[in-house]
Amino acid sequence: MFSKKRKDISSLHVPHNKNTAGCTPVAMACPKEVLLPMNMHYGAAAIPVVEVGDHVRVGQLIAREDETSISSPVHATISGTVVEIGPLALPNGKETTAIRIESDGKMELDPNVQPPKYPENLDEFLELCRLSGVVGLGGAAFPVWKKLDAARTAEIDTILVNGAECEPYITSDHRMMLDHSDLVADGMYMMKQFIGCKKCVICIESNKADAIALLREKFAGDDSMEVRELNTVYPQGAKQVLLYNVTGKVTMQGQRMANLGVLIINVSSLAKVAYYIRTGMPLVDRIVTVDGSAVAEPKNLIVPIGTRVSALLEEVGTKAEPGKVLIGGPMLGRAVGTLEDPIVKATSAILAMNKKDAKLSEPSACIHCGRCVAVCPMGVDPTTINKATLQEEADPKTRYEILIKAGTRQCIECACCSYVCPAHRPLMEVNKQGYAFARGYEKAQKGGVKA
Amino acid sequence: MSKLNVSVAPHIHSGASTQRIMMDVCIAMLPALLAGAYLFGLQALLVVAVCIAATVVGEFLFNLIAKKKQTIGDFSAVVTGMLLGLNLSTNVPLWQCAMGGLFAILLVKCLFGGLGQNIVNPAIAARVFMLLAFSAVAGGADPIRSIGGVELATGATPLAAETHPSLLTMLVGAHGGAIGETCAIALLLGYVYLVARKVIQWYVPLTFVATVFGLYLVFTGNVQEALFQVLAGGLLLGAIFMATDYVTTPITGRGRVFFCIGAGIITFAIRYWGSYPEGVSIAILCMNLLVPMLERLAKKTPLKGDNFHG
Repeated sequence: MFSKKRKDISSLHVPHNKNTAGCTPVAMACPKEVLLPMNMHYGAAAIPVVEVGDHVRVGQLIAREDETSISSPVHATISGTVVEIGPLALPNGKETTAIRIESDGKMELDPNVQPPKYPENLDEFLELCRLSGVVGLGGAAFPVWKKLDAARTAEIDTILVNGAECEPYITSDHRMMLDHSDLVADGMYMMKQFIGCKKCVICIESNKADAIALLREKFAGDDSMEVRELNTVYPQGAKQVLLYNVTGKVTMQGQRMANLGVLIINVSSLAKVAYYIRTGMPLVDRIVTVDGSAVAEPKNLIVPIGTRVSALLEEVGTKAEPGKVLIGGPMLGRAVGTLEDPIVKATSAILAMNKKDAKLSEPSACIHCGRCVAVCPMGVDPTTINKATLQEEADPKTRYEILIKAGTRQCIECACCSYVCPAHRPLMEVNKQGYAFARGYEKAQKGGVKA
Repeated sequence: MSKLNVSVAPHIHSGASTQRIMMDVCIAMLPALLAGAYLFGLQALLVVAVCIAATVVGEFLFNLIAKKKQTIGDFSAVVTGMLLGLNLSTNVPLWQCAMGGLFAILLVKCLFGGLGQNIVNPAIAARVFMLLAFSAVAGGADPIRSIGGVELATGATPLAAETHPSLLTMLVGAHGGAIGETCAIALLLGYVYLVARKVIQWYVPLTFVATVFGLYLVFTGNVQEALFQVLAGGLLLGAIFMATDYVTTPITGRGRVFFCIGAGIITFAIRYWGSYPEGVSIAILCMNLLVPMLERLAKKTPLKGDNFHG
C-alpha cells in the first residue's frame, strides 16, 4: 500500500520563504482586547454563555457549542471583562456574533482548568476533543471531535498527521513539531490507542529536516509510527494531495475519507488535543507566523486567539507601509480589508506585504499555453472551466456538463493554476464561481424532479 | 492608514507573463534571423522588418478602429511578423511582405478575436496565402555567401533539386530557401533556448521531426535521405516555432504529440507523393484545423476515485 514509487501529483515549486523556521515562538505581550467570533470553525456558530459585564479568565467557557449541529465551543483567551456581544460583519457579506473582552492585563487562569480524567475509550476521548474546542488548525477549521467521530462508524486503518506545511512563509506547524514534539508524539499515541488505527504516519515536507530527524528519533523502534518525508512541492499539504501521495487513494468531493480507512489531522490540532487532555487547558492560543516584505522582524508569536491583526504587526514592527495584509499564506490566504480583523483558531500566519508586492497584474487574454492544465494536481482543466464559467449566456445544461467534465468538482482550490498563468487570469476564483453554478444547477434539477 | 489591497488568492505569482513568453520566442528566432541576414544579405533584415512593421501597425490600427484595448504591448504581433519574415525569401518584394503581414494580423488574428482566439497560425496562413497570390514566394532565393567555407548550393529549395547538397551545407544553411529556414544550427540554438526557458516542451518539435525522419527511413531505407529531409525545407522552423504555437495547438502535452505526429505524416505525404516539394506549412495548417478533435482525444481526466482503486 505504501509504495514509494508512486509519482507525486503535486508538482509546483514555489519559493519557500520559510524565514521564521529558526524562530522559537515567543508569547506576545498581552493584547488590550480580543474579539472572538462565534464561527471560528466549520459548522454552526457557538452560543454565548456569558453576558456583558461578566469577568472572565483564561480558559473559561464563554460560548457553548450548538449541539444540534457540528459546532465547537469558544473559551476566553485572556482575563478581563466582557464588554460587548454584538454582530460582526464577515468578509463574505454575512454576519456572525462576536464577544469582545477587554483585558485586565493579568492573564489569570480559570481555576476550573484542571487536567481531565484520562479517557478510557473512544467515546470519552471524543468527549474531551469536543470540550477542548480544537478545530482543524491548518485552515479548514473542521471541529476535531467531528472528524474523529468517523472512527465510530468506519474502520480506520491509517491516520495521517499533516505536518507538510506547504504554504510559503508559514512555520507554525514546523515550530509545533520542533518545540512540542512530546505533545505531537503524545497525540499520535492517543490516536493509536483510541481510534485503533494500525498505523499513524506523520507527513512532513523534506525542507523540515530537523523536525523529521527529531520525530524519527522519538519513534525509533516503533513500527506503528512512521515519519514520512515528502517532497517539497506545493500543494503537498492539501488533504486530497496528501492522501494520494502517501496512500495512493482518492476521494471524490462529498465522499468521506474515513470510508477509505484514512483520517487526516493537522499536526498542531493533534498537539492541542493532547495538551488539553494532559492539562485541561482548551484552545486559547496558537502559534502565528508573522512575516512578509513589510515586516521589520519576522517572528513566530504565541497569540491569544481573538487578538487583532494590528496588535501583531505592532509586535513585530513594520519597515514599510503594508499594501496588503494576509491572514494565512500567500497562496491561499485572505487579504484583509482592515487590520482590526481578529486572529481566529485556524489562522496560522499574518503576512504584511509592501506596496510593491501588493501590486496587481491586469488579467489578459488566455494564450492556451497549458501551464494550468499541466500543474493541476487533480487533473482538472482550468482553461475549459474558465471559458464555460464566463459564458453566462450559454445553455445551462451544456455549461453544466462542460464544467463537470472539466473537473470543477475535483478542484481543491490550491491556486496552482492562478499562480502559473502567464496571462494572470484568476483561474481558481473563476472555478469557484463555476462550481457554485454547477451546484446551483444540480439543486434546481433535483427540485424540478420533485415538482 | 491608506487602503489595503484585498485581491483574491493567490497573492504571489510565478512571474511568467505573456509578454515575457513572446519575447522569449523572439529571442529564440534571433539566431535564425542573424544567420539569414548573413547568408542572404541585408535584404533579409529588411523583409523581416517590413513584416514586423505590418503586423504591429496592423494590430495597432485594428484595436484603434475597433475601439479595443491596445494589445501590441504583449509582443505577439512581433512574433507573428518575425515568423512570417523568416518564412519568406529575400526575392519577395517588400510590398508583398507588407500585404502578407496585414493578412496574418487582420484576417487571421484580429478578426477572430485577437490573441488566443485565432484558429490557424497567422504566420503560416499568411505564407500559404502568399504562395497562392504571389509567385515569388514559392521560389526561394539563393544565398550570397556560405559560412565557414562550407560548399554553397544554389537553385531554389534543395527539395526540388535533382541532386542533394551535402549534409554539411544543409546544416549551416548555405542553400536556397526562406530566410530563417535554411540554417539548422541557428534553429537548434533557438530550440535549446526555448526548452531551457520552459516556453516549449522538448518533445513537441522532436515528435514532428522524428515522425518525418522515421517515415522517410521506412519508405526509402536511406538514412542520408531521411536526414536530408529533416534539414531541408521549413521542417525545423515549422517544428520549433509553429507546431509549438500555444494558441493553435492542443493544450495538453499528449495532444501536442498527436498534433506533431499528424503534421509529420502530412508533411511526409506531401513531400513523398505530392507534386509540391514543401509540405510543412500546409501540414501545420491542416493540423491547426484538427485541434478541437485532438483536444477531445487527449483530454486529461480529472483524478477520480474509481481510477485508482484496486
